[in-house]
Amino acid sequence: MKVKLWGTRGSIPAPGPETIRYGGNTSCVGVTLSDGSMLALDAGTGIRCLGLAQPDEPTRLHILLTHLHLDHIQGLVFFAPAFRPQTEIVIWGPASPEASLRDRIARYISAPLSPVEVRELPCDVSFRHCPESEWEIGSARIRAASVTHRGPTLGYRIDDGDSSLTYIPDHEPALGADLESLEEDWISGFALARDTSLLIHDGQYTDAEYPCHVGWGHSATSHALSFARRTGAERTVLFHHDPLHSDDQLDALAVESQREWVELGGDPGTLELGAERDEFELPARAAKAAAATV
Amino acid sequence: MTQRPLELILARNLMSALSTPAFLVDEGGLLVFYNEAAGMLLGKRFEELGTVGAEEWGSLFGPFDEQGEPIPYDELPLVTAVRAGRPAHGELTVRSTDGTLHEVEVSALPIQTPHGSQGAIAVFWPAASSNGAGPA
Repeated sequence: MKVKLWGTRGSIPAPGPETIRYGGNTSCVGVTLSDGSMLALDAGTGIRCLGLAQPDEPTRLHILLTHLHLDHIQGLVFFAPAFRPQTEIVIWGPASPEASLRDRIARYISAPLSPVEVRELPCDVSFRHCPESEWEIGSARIRAASVTHRGPTLGYRIDDGDSSLTYIPDHEPALGADLESLEEDWISGFALARDTSLLIHDGQYTDAEYPCHVGWGHSATSHALSFARRTGAERTVLFHHDPLHSDDQLDALAVESQREWVELGGDPGTLELGAERDEFELPARAAKAAAATV
Repeated sequence: MTQRPLELILARNLMSALSTPAFLVDEGGLLVFYNEAAGMLLGKRFEELGTVGAEEWGSLFGPFDEQGEPIPYDELPLVTAVRAGRPAHGELTVRSTDGTLHEVEVSALPIQTPHGSQGAIAVFWPAASSNGAGPA
């Protein structure tokens, strides 16, 4: 399984010279499964460049949306494969008692916010509510579960062979809870992230910033690290950077979070801040074990 | 490990911050949490007791009706709320671990989600007939 970060920013795009290294595009992660199937996790503005990197040939793509806040869907109408008749796109997302996934997304892909309507997209697009139980896409087993954020919001776990990716970009598991003392089954998102190979997790706020944003649906650094430690994630990427955080500030946050991670008993090589275009390859465990012995 | 539904996690988090005694059952009617205020009423913290089923709950705390007869677990407002999927209200007496009896009013609400009922939450208040006395 190959993972590439196409957008690491939260809330709103933050382009400019001060964010050029970590990137200014909003949430999008490309995943190439071991059988070649292609997934996009969220469709923030980062999906525009992911789309440009796709070959112009008949293909089937799956877009897994965690929720429908604008920073997670804004790139949909600029996703080049959506304008190719030979492309089939399946969009997965959370159910809501209010309206179907298609109707809720159509509020954005419609006038006056968009020059095109969903029905006008040349591709073959369909919308599916994520099931409660695990399902398969290509060589992967996918699991979705509701997590603590504002409005219906999912986290995803993708198991491909023996490797797994957990993606919870918008998450406030410490809201009203002490992550260090709470039982595992009472921690939002725990089952998705347990012993995962790679955890991509919300780390929007510094600990100093968090008190002014309690209940906004995002984590402070220390919450993200506690969650990673409790779940036993092998490698953790902090994601959904605050749009006000410059590269220099994120560099400083990386140093501070590494220090805190080591204090918690973590291996310093297993934590990082996600940067746009970062790539990760998750080999099967058997292959990793063999590689480790070379 | 079975992950608790998010709605139960959020309910527990809310209850943990309340000063009103509050109880939480899962979709099977099993008592899975009560807060510190409820622990003070009962004389036992949830962390000391843990998840309990109907029989243990009844033997520890009652509850009892106006005639002092034990109320079957299935007839408690909390259990009615989770099984019938509708709000329920009742007046009953609970017994704390030191033997003190507390008359309380109970309001229970089902926790309905897009995937069906996930449990119920109940809040205790001092019974009007007890003139508002007591720690509930």
